[in-house]
Amino acid sequence: MIESGWAYIWGAYALALVTLLVLTLVVMLRLAHWSKRARSLERKP
Amino acid sequence: MLFLANPARFMSFSAWAAPLTLVLALALFAVGLPWGLFFSPADYQQGETVRIMYLHVPAAWWSLGIYVFMGAASLVGLVWRHVLADLAARSAAPIGAAFAWICLATGSLWGAPTWGTWWEWDGRLTSMLVLFVIYLGYIALWNAVEDEEKAARLAAILCLAGLINIPIVHFSVDWWSTLHQPASILRAEGPSIHPSMLGPLFTMAAAFLFLVAALAMMNMRAAIYRRRIEAARVRGADA
Repeated sequence: MIESGWAYIWGAYALALVTLLVLTLVVMLRLAHWSKRARSLERKP
Repeated sequence: MLFLANPARFMSFSAWAAPLTLVLALALFAVGLPWGLFFSPADYQQGETVRIMYLHVPAAWWSLGIYVFMGAASLVGLVWRHVLADLAARSAAPIGAAFAWICLATGSLWGAPTWGTWWEWDGRLTSMLVLFVIYLGYIALWNAVEDEEKAARLAAILCLAGLINIPIVHFSVDWWSTLHQPASILRAEGPSIHPSMLGPLFTMAAAFLFLVAALAMMNMRAAIYRRRIEAARVRGADA
């Protein structure tokens, strides 16, 4: 059996969670940007 | 699904469905992460490193699943010229690329202590890397062609051609003698891994799936807003 390996486990979890967090933030910021612009356009007479 | 093919209906549906699926994904991650990290047993061969599987396997499953979805959407976009189908495929691509990256990186972090190597050019690893490169190529193609209709057509053709890689990824462990172990869950005889490990694995797989749904819907909403702005700009220029 492979002994320990926790450094690899923490590395894998940190890498995956940072990737998912960045992806989610980018998607949310992009949506906020375009929805804000679309709403300001709709408000224009 | 068909009722979502209308942009107005999709916008009103995704207005509540996207945040709901995001909350469900976060709730499942809140359960699955500690379950996989601390409350599931070590493997008799892999030891503690088996915990990497709870990230690696769902990322692998859904990176393939997203590509199949993109293929279906591309086919609809190409045959019926449905704008939402093109947008759906385009919106899912960055998520699929991120999942393929997570699969490759976590697989490498698992391989180092288990196989004694970070990388091996075997059938499964290489075909997964090819999938990641196809995702990047698909995203690059959409951004490289200015005319969106032309970009959609070219990207759809690339996506459909890339579908050939999906069975190669899946069956690579059966077709070739690889370092990667054969399928242990999605197989005719049923899962070969211990039931105590299936709980965190399926919880994480569900968390990844809900995250895909939430992010794809949000990406599509952003793309529809952008199209509306561009259409209004064109109308303004024509007036």
